[in-house]
Amino acid sequence: MNKDQIENKLATRFGSAVEILKTKFPEPCMYIVIDKYIEVCKFLRDDPELAFEFLFSLAGVHYPDRFEVVIHLSSSKHVHQLVAKVKLPLENPKIPTLSGVWEAANWYEREAAELFGIVFNGHPDPRPLLLYDDWNYGYPMRKGWTGPDFIPMPDKSKGADE
Amino acid sequence: MGIIEKAPLYVEKIPGGGIVITSAEGLLNWSRASSLWYLLFGLACCAIEMMATGASRYDFDRLGMFFRASPRQADLMMVCGTVTHKMAKRIKILYDQMAEPKYVLAMGGCACDGGPFYYDCYSVLKGVDKIIPVDVYIPGCPPRPESLLQGALKVREKIYREKIKDFAGDIPPKQA
Repeated sequence: MNKDQIENKLATRFGSAVEILKTKFPEPCMYIVIDKYIEVCKFLRDDPELAFEFLFSLAGVHYPDRFEVVIHLSSSKHVHQLVAKVKLPLENPKIPTLSGVWEAANWYEREAAELFGIVFNGHPDPRPLLLYDDWNYGYPMRKGWTGPDFIPMPDKSKGADE
Repeated sequence: MGIIEKAPLYVEKIPGGGIVITSAEGLLNWSRASSLWYLLFGLACCAIEMMATGASRYDFDRLGMFFRASPRQADLMMVCGTVTHKMAKRIKILYDQMAEPKYVLAMGGCACDGGPFYYDCYSVLKGVDKIIPVDVYIPGCPPRPESLLQGALKVREKIYREKIKDFAGDIPPKQA
């Protein structure tokens, strides 16, 4: 299926739960409402015309007003890709886990939980993954984070040139 | 006879006898500098250049340098690559396990001072000299094998300059 066909199929199937984004990229890109997140993902995986059987990226993003979880899907059967995003609040970001849908989400979600502080409800193995063992300095990929041995980039626009 | 043939500066032959005269300092320094075995580990892309330097085209072997997979048998630690906080503890342990005398060569911008990870980075140590003493720094990202060979020669120069009272300092005096 091409981009328009995938967008139309999802828009007719889920209506307002899926907000299609207009982008110049070849793959369809959309926001999913958090209540329908697992349902839409299972549909994307199981529908024979879509058949997104491979989750190849799951990332957190920190915006000034929200967190986002961005997932990239691909189908080796139909050779198409899809980008889906979920908006989360800045305070207490929680999202159900995807590891029941795609097993690959397990480590991606451990990474996003550790670096952004996003809580993945129902995760089967919520241990830290990347940072060192006695890390207790918070979530380093959040904007404005500082910690030991952290040197922020000097602001060149203010004439601070080293 | 190998020593006599290869180190004429340090050994004088007494004609007709099997006796050689040299300074203990010179002989020790010469033997240490000529068999500088390095610890085999690489942390990032600089390790690729180290492998290239160890392989036949550039050839560390001609300096008497062989990799050892055990810190107990290594004299030189080459820190090749990005030192993350997670790895820093392991490097400290490896350094402590090496026997004296030991030398450290920091290869590449990351090992010297953090390099491209100096600003806005939560995970990289800003230079391996924060945790272990470094003898020779080699800048570059990554340095070419020629630079690494020059760094190894600098370590040799440093060893040749050592005085016997310097490295005998650790030995406690015997009780009478």
